[in-house]
Amino acid sequence: MFSSDELPGLDRRSLLRNAIMLVGGGLAATPGGAIAKAVTKPKKKPARFFSPAQMVVLATVTDIIIPRTDTPGAKDAGVPQNFDALMRNWASAQHQAQFNALVDELGGLGLAKLPAGQRIEAVRKFDADKLAVFDETYVKFKELVLTLYYLSEAGATKELRYELIPGKWEPWTEMAPDARAWAV
Amino acid sequence: MFDAIVVGSGMSGGWVAKELTEKGLKTLVLERGHHVEHGADYKDSLAPWQLENFGMVPEEEADEHYAVQKKCYAFSTANQDFWVKDSEHPYTTAEGKPFMWIRGYHLGGRSLMWGRQSYRLSPMDFESNAKDGHGSDWPIRYEDMAPWYDHVEEFAGISGSKEGLAQLPDGHFLPPMELTGTEIDFKKKIEAAWPTRKLIIGRAAHLTQAQPVHEELGRISCQYRSLCERGCSFGSYFSSLSSTLPAAERTGNMTVITNAIVHSVIYDPKTGKATGVRVIDAKTKQGRTYEAKVVFLNASAIGTAQILLNSKSEAMPNGLANRSDAVGRYLVDHISGVGAGGIYPGFETHYHHGRRPNGFYIPRYRNVTEKTDEFVRGFGFQGGILRETWKRGTAKPGVGAEYKASLRRPGPWRVGLGGFGEMLPRPENRVTLHPSRVDQWGIPLVHIDAELGPNDRKMVDRMRADAREMLERAGVQDIHVGEHYGGLGLGIHEAGTAHMGKDPTKSVLNKYNQSHDVSNLFITDGAAMASTGCQNPSLTYMAMSARGAHYAAEFLKEGRI
Repeated sequence: MFSSDELPGLDRRSLLRNAIMLVGGGLAATPGGAIAKAVTKPKKKPARFFSPAQMVVLATVTDIIIPRTDTPGAKDAGVPQNFDALMRNWASAQHQAQFNALVDELGGLGLAKLPAGQRIEAVRKFDADKLAVFDETYVKFKELVLTLYYLSEAGATKELRYELIPGKWEPWTEMAPDARAWAV
Repeated sequence: MFDAIVVGSGMSGGWVAKELTEKGLKTLVLERGHHVEHGADYKDSLAPWQLENFGMVPEEEADEHYAVQKKCYAFSTANQDFWVKDSEHPYTTAEGKPFMWIRGYHLGGRSLMWGRQSYRLSPMDFESNAKDGHGSDWPIRYEDMAPWYDHVEEFAGISGSKEGLAQLPDGHFLPPMELTGTEIDFKKKIEAAWPTRKLIIGRAAHLTQAQPVHEELGRISCQYRSLCERGCSFGSYFSSLSSTLPAAERTGNMTVITNAIVHSVIYDPKTGKATGVRVIDAKTKQGRTYEAKVVFLNASAIGTAQILLNSKSEAMPNGLANRSDAVGRYLVDHISGVGAGGIYPGFETHYHHGRRPNGFYIPRYRNVTEKTDEFVRGFGFQGGILRETWKRGTAKPGVGAEYKASLRRPGPWRVGLGGFGEMLPRPENRVTLHPSRVDQWGIPLVHIDAELGPNDRKMVDRMRADAREMLERAGVQDIHVGEHYGGLGLGIHEAGTAHMGKDPTKSVLNKYNQSHDVSNLFITDGAAMASTGCQNPSLTYMAMSARGAHYAAEFLKEGRI
């Protein structure tokens, strides 16, 4: 496992703050700050799976895949933090290793050094290349990113529509051309 | 001393408990698993983002403890307590013959997570064994069951449409749910291409319009959340916990004991009757016994066979009520997991609202209206046509605002068809007790040796071909036809291990679901089935349980048992 807990002497909080500045205000804007919770309330398991540097990569990439538009983007929806949480609480050792390597591979794109306009092209090419060969790790990664976004409160209720209790079944409704899909 | 002991609190045990207690019998219900409180123990109020790991059970925990259960579509962190840990409840299978035994050991059993599709067997299903010679002739016919189907449908609440089909008798229905426009279009195309095939709305155990009989138990009409397998606090679908056990409870005649694993039935060779059951406490592992005048086994088909086989005595060395050597044999499941899907083009101006916990059904036509020489019996299809969600984005290349915008719209309509076929009852497909291995309670493990036979495999091929052909005829695009998963069990319709029959030397139960050999022993779960048709079986287990309980109470009153 690759974790910031294994880097003695580093102050995770300040590193994260730096990370937030690097990638923009999205993380800081997350209400309630999932990061702050994870850092200040350590459990038995490591508070973070990915290193601060990897978290920057993950946040950058997921927010390129699903950017903030007129609705929240991946970072606003807490996707990077929730992805990290899945690594700690859900992923097998095999998936942990695969996603760790994938995030490092994404880090190799050097997105931070690229002008904003070129970042999206780099991720677009990476995405297309991986899907063209049906790279299983990447396909699962993308599935998880979409799941964490569209099933987040922001993704499900602001980008899409969600009703906990629909109350009725309407099998055939006229749809406005700009109607949003149901999240579930 | 109780009047009756019911082993199991699930789909069938709940019904036996209700019927017996309503007839005034002091009834003990023994459940091997933990208590589940209706409502309080359900996670049906949680939004997707509130679920632990977004519903995904940790992979290593799933591999280590739920190696079989995790294969069920309904398994998630929203209902993880409703599945057994395979690691704690092992069983063995014959080499090369995987059997995925999906189990729920808790109050209410699998009636909490069931698929809720509810169909009557038809006259031809009760005649099939007699006609083609497979299995034992049923000692009952449809006419014997019809009033009991009426009885359970009214109380359970089954929604559906009357269709007048010989192979799928109509019942006492609540209003049907509605098909989508695309499903109606598909129906028209199928019925035009094959005039004797029908596509109907699924018949499902949901209160589309709650009646007083439901409301008095606190059940209300379906709210179209489709979170059913988490348990429904509204009681809108039928389960033991929403319906039968509360009905039994209010009589004051029921005692429920959980964590009580039935080891065996106690048999008295002097009287030829069962006197009670031996129980092992799941927690303390202490043994104890309970006595009653009549014993019902409703432990699920395989569990019931296990108890019978483990109830060996000097008088009955092959296990209780097993003079026929049929106990454990003739194990069937429905042939399932075979189907096809694709994109249903057009209709992009329309959508749906709410989540319908149901789909459509294409009742059996093979060897009903379309004679098919390659196999006997037949299959039906379940399916649906809904618009795709954001999930289509996984394999779709793209990133950024445009990609996000494309997934904001509902996707194209997608059709799915899944077959459910009748597996022939064959004596070599059987459950036995493992010769040496025991579980942590000292009970011999179940060993399952079962596989599809030649007739079943031909049916698999025909199901795949028919699914493709119907989709092609309807103009479906990107058709994908699935492979069968290569084992058994995932139909979760296991049955046949203590079947009803006319001949006491060849079958286990008579026409009253009463043991041929032990007059005060009744079995009304899936074990009792002499054949299964291709219809989802729970409604039949309900009806059979109410019927069996009726006769047991009569016989008790008359002093016959």
